[in-house]
Amino acid sequence: MLRSRHRPLAAATAVLAVAATLAACSDKDASTDKVTITVMGQPAATNKAALALFQQQVAEFEAANPTIDVVGSDVPWDAKTFAARLAGGNAPAVIRVPLTEPPSLIERKQVADITAEASELASFAELNPRVMDFLVRDKVVYGLPEKSYAFGLVYNRELFTKAGLDPDHPPTTWDEVRTAAKQISEKTGKTGFGEISTNNSGGWHLTGYTYTNGGTMIKQGADGKYVASFNDEPTRKVLQWWKQVRWQDDSLGDNMLGKQEDLLAQFTAGNVGMWVSAPPDLYPNYVAAGGDPAKYGAAAMPQGGANATLAGATVLMVSAKASAAQRAAAVKWIEFRALRPNYDPDVAAKYAKASAADGLPVGVPVLPIFSQERYQKVQTAISAYVNVPVKNFASYVDSLNRFTYVAEPAVSSQEIYAALDPLVQKVLTDKNADINALLSDAEKRVNTILTQAQR
Amino acid sequence: MTSVPTRVPVTARTTPGGTASRRASAARRSAWSALAFLLPAIFLFGYFAWWPIGRSVVLAFQQTNLVDAPEWVGWQNFQELFADPLLPQAVLNTLWFAALSLVIGLPLPLAVAVLTSELRRGGALARTLAYLPVVIPPVVSVLLWKTFFNPGEEGVVNAVLDLVGLGPYPWLQSPDLAMPSLVIVATWSGSGTAILVYLAALTGVSTELYDAAELDGASVWRRVWHVTLPQLRGVILVLLLLQIIGALQVFTEPYVMTDGGPANATVTVLLMIYRYAFLFGDYGVATALSVLLAVALVVVSAAYLRLTRAWSTS
Repeated sequence: MLRSRHRPLAAATAVLAVAATLAACSDKDASTDKVTITVMGQPAATNKAALALFQQQVAEFEAANPTIDVVGSDVPWDAKTFAARLAGGNAPAVIRVPLTEPPSLIERKQVADITAEASELASFAELNPRVMDFLVRDKVVYGLPEKSYAFGLVYNRELFTKAGLDPDHPPTTWDEVRTAAKQISEKTGKTGFGEISTNNSGGWHLTGYTYTNGGTMIKQGADGKYVASFNDEPTRKVLQWWKQVRWQDDSLGDNMLGKQEDLLAQFTAGNVGMWVSAPPDLYPNYVAAGGDPAKYGAAAMPQGGANATLAGATVLMVSAKASAAQRAAAVKWIEFRALRPNYDPDVAAKYAKASAADGLPVGVPVLPIFSQERYQKVQTAISAYVNVPVKNFASYVDSLNRFTYVAEPAVSSQEIYAALDPLVQKVLTDKNADINALLSDAEKRVNTILTQAQR
Repeated sequence: MTSVPTRVPVTARTTPGGTASRRASAARRSAWSALAFLLPAIFLFGYFAWWPIGRSVVLAFQQTNLVDAPEWVGWQNFQELFADPLLPQAVLNTLWFAALSLVIGLPLPLAVAVLTSELRRGGALARTLAYLPVVIPPVVSVLLWKTFFNPGEEGVVNAVLDLVGLGPYPWLQSPDLAMPSLVIVATWSGSGTAILVYLAALTGVSTELYDAAELDGASVWRRVWHVTLPQLRGVILVLLLLQIIGALQVFTEPYVMTDGGPANATVTVLLMIYRYAFLFGDYGVATALSVLLAVALVVVSAAYLRLTRAWSTS
């Protein structure tokens, strides 16, 4: 009697136990010999040619490594969703992030130590130390670079011509940019100079512009701790420049609350004369969105006297949740997909030929992730397949040899950018904005962020 | 004193072959069977609803990177939260949103429902049109409105206002206009449900009361004031409470349309929670703020129910 009364309870418990066991087992590999890795960096389905090349690389890699299965993920890095994916156990083995992320990922122990696997790679010793500085902490390697960039001025050559400006001689100083922006707005009715201010992009741009005036966002004190250092003339000059272009010249257009993707769409549609971004990074997206290569201009980062520009990179890291076998497979994949085409001239030529045949951009001038000599060897190998109007990048390429590269804030960069977004937005949306008061407020806020981060 | 009532059933239950014993036994069996049938639902509800709430409260006192075991940090997350100068502004913004959405969002669906119920023809069409915005996914409707609020002359809202010689206004680009713009969107996309609830409640209002009022020569306005509104009192109070709770948890509109801008003018408490968790990876502080918000909502709800109890039953 007692047993029969408890039977439904026992049955329900058994069902739940079986369900829980099945759920726990579902993420294990069916075969213990094979290892599966999910890798970020798969091109979106809309970018068919790039996706085909990626799939071809996956097939080649799997053929060469029969014990590894590669699953591509076309979900791009997004600071706002990555943590949720990690929490849900869905973080990929190979994480593809901008160079601002490694310090906090390393700090939070969310990425794996890949020193042993990375140091075995033939190309490891030749990697650019400027990028590797961000990926190595206490002699432990946490990531490898995929590509590197420096800020520059992106402009629409057709709008330049229509506005009576010479597209082969883009502006080089902020004063010249202001004059050109006013001319474009007045003569074409389009936005002379595009600006972005949401999703941390306002703080990112304020940082990049400040560098060109010789300023910095944070500096290290005698005790080794970082404090805010932007409440001074270089940053004030940026904010004043924005104020003039927005409220005196009316050259910034209507939308002050956009992010990079919004402005790229407007730029591709021919509605924006100039804006600041990473020209080589932007170009493939511009072309994929239907932009005309002939209208794309890439110039040096406008200067306020420092001859400096913000430099960053896209880097690949391995999730801390990856097993030892997955970690080894992940580093192999990173070498195969990201390092070899920038290191081995034969491989570079092979992919350049395939990319050119599919109409993908070949030969976009970039900041090398290996030595300059290695970069030249690769460039020579792919020269027969270059289909990018490289001369439209002349001013940008020239600046790469002249400018000092300044890295993004070493501590809490995204938090700092987020704290600076409102400051940028205030200047762009309120003509009576008090720049000095705003800078003092932002300085306090950033110092609070830095104190908490360095406790 | 307390042992007397428990002793009686125990005695009755132990009486061999007694009617009371059989009845109690049957009742017990019935209770166990009911429990067995309810168990999956209890498990699912407990696992997916109460367990996360319990975990949140615990997490508010911990620090975690979601990889290693969480570390107990006591009140540190709350201290960090209260040191954030954005918190007062986020609270004020949230209250401002709630106040505006009560001013705009409460009377509007009520008025639409009453007017729709008065329609002799086209009532079904009016109800469909009123409910239609609810069918559109929130993010889609919010993105749609984002383009409507384009600050240039080509923006739909500005183009319409231009017909009567007004504008153009910067809408989402202005620290003063951004929040009212978000409230308009929230009201537009959410009022359909409230309208349907009011319409359903209106069907329960006795027609005899209207007939009596008409016989007394009451105008439409007096009928609404003296008959309709008193009859809808209970529904109005519940919807008002739901609206307050919903408004204090506003997220989609500021996240999608303004990202909290311009200059923090539309940063809300939930947006702060989201940023702490998913932008800064500080889950401890995010859950600390979530717990505080939940406590505040419970207090507001309890106070509201207590204050309105007399009115709702009178």
